[in-house]
Amino acid sequence: MGSIRFENSGKTYGNGPGAFLALEGVTLDVADKEFVAIVGPSGCGKTTCLRMVAGFESVTSGRVLVNGKDVVAPGPDRAVVFQQFALFPWKTVEENIEFGLRNKNVPKGERRDLVQGALALMGLESHASAFPHQLSGGMQQRVAIARAYVLDPAVLLMDEPFGALDAQTRVVMQEELVRLARVQPRTVLFITHGVEEAVYLADRVAVMTRRPGRIKEVIDVKSVRTGEKWDDLERIEDVMDTESFVHLRTQIWKSLREEKIAAN
Amino acid sequence: MATEASAVGLDRNQRTDEKAVSASVAGRKLPGRSKWRKMLARPPVISALSVAAVLLIWFAATSWFQLAPAGRFPTPQEFWSSLRQSLFAGYAGGTLVGHVWNSLRLVVIGFACAFLTGVPLGLLMGSSRTAEAVINPIFSLMRPIPPLAWIPLAILWLGLGSAAKVMVIWLAAFVPSVINSYTGVRGIDKSLIAAARMLGTPRGRMIGEVIVPGALPLIFTGLRLSLQAAWTTLVAAEMVGALTGVGFVLNVAQQDIYPSMILVGMLTVGVLGWSTTWALAVVERRMLARWPQGRS
Ligand SMILES: Nc1ncnc2c1ncn2[C@@H]1O[C@H](COP(=O)(O)OP(=O)(O)OP(=O)(O)O)[C@@H](O)[C@H]1O
Ligand SMILES: [Mg+2]
Repeated sequence: MGSIRFENSGKTYGNGPGAFLALEGVTLDVADKEFVAIVGPSGCGKTTCLRMVAGFESVTSGRVLVNGKDVVAPGPDRAVVFQQFALFPWKTVEENIEFGLRNKNVPKGERRDLVQGALALMGLESHASAFPHQLSGGMQQRVAIARAYVLDPAVLLMDEPFGALDAQTRVVMQEELVRLARVQPRTVLFITHGVEEAVYLADRVAVMTRRPGRIKEVIDVKSVRTGEKWDDLERIEDVMDTESFVHLRTQIWKSLREEKIAAN
Repeated sequence: MATEASAVGLDRNQRTDEKAVSASVAGRKLPGRSKWRKMLARPPVISALSVAAVLLIWFAATSWFQLAPAGRFPTPQEFWSSLRQSLFAGYAGGTLVGHVWNSLRLVVIGFACAFLTGVPLGLLMGSSRTAEAVINPIFSLMRPIPPLAWIPLAILWLGLGSAAKVMVIWLAAFVPSVINSYTGVRGIDKSLIAAARMLGTPRGRMIGEVIVPGALPLIFTGLRLSLQAAWTTLVAAEMVGALTGVGFVLNVAQQDIYPSMILVGMLTVGVLGWSTTWALAVVERRMLARWPQGRS
């Protein structure tokens, strides 16, 4: 069970004359098991939104709620997948995945089963005792996703998780994430620069305005996805070729373009 | 210079060519000359040759051609007899082994004190802004004082015995440990700290499994510098005021105008410094086996 609620949330960095208004009046609801992607011009405050849900930044106006409670500090109920993976270099893949479970005082036997499950889920069995630097970027991000998933978090927060990967690996990871979302649906807040990625992955796509960021519009993808039976198509390029996909992509693209033009 | 560099460059190219050729014929029929060259090019062989060359120059300059003024610069034979004298008959109130034991003991104690206080202090300064604000001004003021400037006060307070020397060594070795541990913590990738917080890491585990491991490579850099500082300071302190130790041997030998014994003292310090550094490197390699840089 996990829901996220931005209630007129704002964020000002610093204070006094150097204060910097990054977000203003952000309102957005993410329902339980819903996958919402946020797109927006660079510097509009997407990362700030996510960091407020994670508890790394506090709101300076309005509220941010997870499961109806104000966020006060970071915690394992809100797992984050970072763009730069952020795996502990001195821990093996297995130890990285296990770390959060140890912090939650999960008993040893149960911990082993959960880690095995997470390794299998992400296809990492043969790399269990490797160190992160011995893996490719795509593999490292799989570990980071496994580390987040294994905690069974209320919400999963991903900030451009595939931004550091090459194009081919990114496609594989996108397909993987869709598969994961089918096997183990979670509440996900996903930030990306890629409009196609957002449409392919998300149930809804929120478009943000330029700075100070607010939610400009929210586009429903899920009804189109189910109506047009995208899930029956195995590969990402088949989905992206459908007329309905192209239509949605163009709609979001235009909306974003307006913001970018206005910013210049 | 330029021609020399290009000649070396040419030689390198040739060698890679040879490698390619020998690989293509499965390494058979290597010409004898390049086999020799390959063997001589191995680092341990080069090192041994370099030591041999220095010995040779030493012999040549002193015993054989007497280029260095006799009585000022010892011959290898004089050195050898002084070494035997210090080892078996004793010099400056004891045998060399006794002096070494006393010096080594002081360095180890002083270094251990610096390690046990400096590293935690550096870690604390690195992880808490408040601690940094409290400690930094005092530390910044003490830091530029050369450790040797503490000797008068140390002797005044603690006399000519071991305690004063341990104190001075401690102060000298303390600084690099603090600075590097501090820098190590500050250099930890911010996203790793964020990840640890997100994973609900309790405070003790945060220090033990995130901050210390994250700073460990630099902690070891600090310890290496601390060890070096400990030896430097010890010898200086023993030369100023002591009744035993390698620095004391140097001091007495100077007063006796005994160059070959001075050389014995100097080389003893060299060997001691080198072997303790080596021991620390062994520990470092073991501890850092899990770190990306440590394995490459
Ligand atoms: N700690 C901070 N202190 C001051 N200003 C900040 C801080 N973090 C972010 N900002 C500013 O707030 C604004 C929003 O930053 P944020 O990182 O949330 O944008 P973003 O939408 O994620 O950008 P990008 O698409 O480039 O990742 C930016 O203009 C940034 O410079
Ligand atoms: Mg960002």
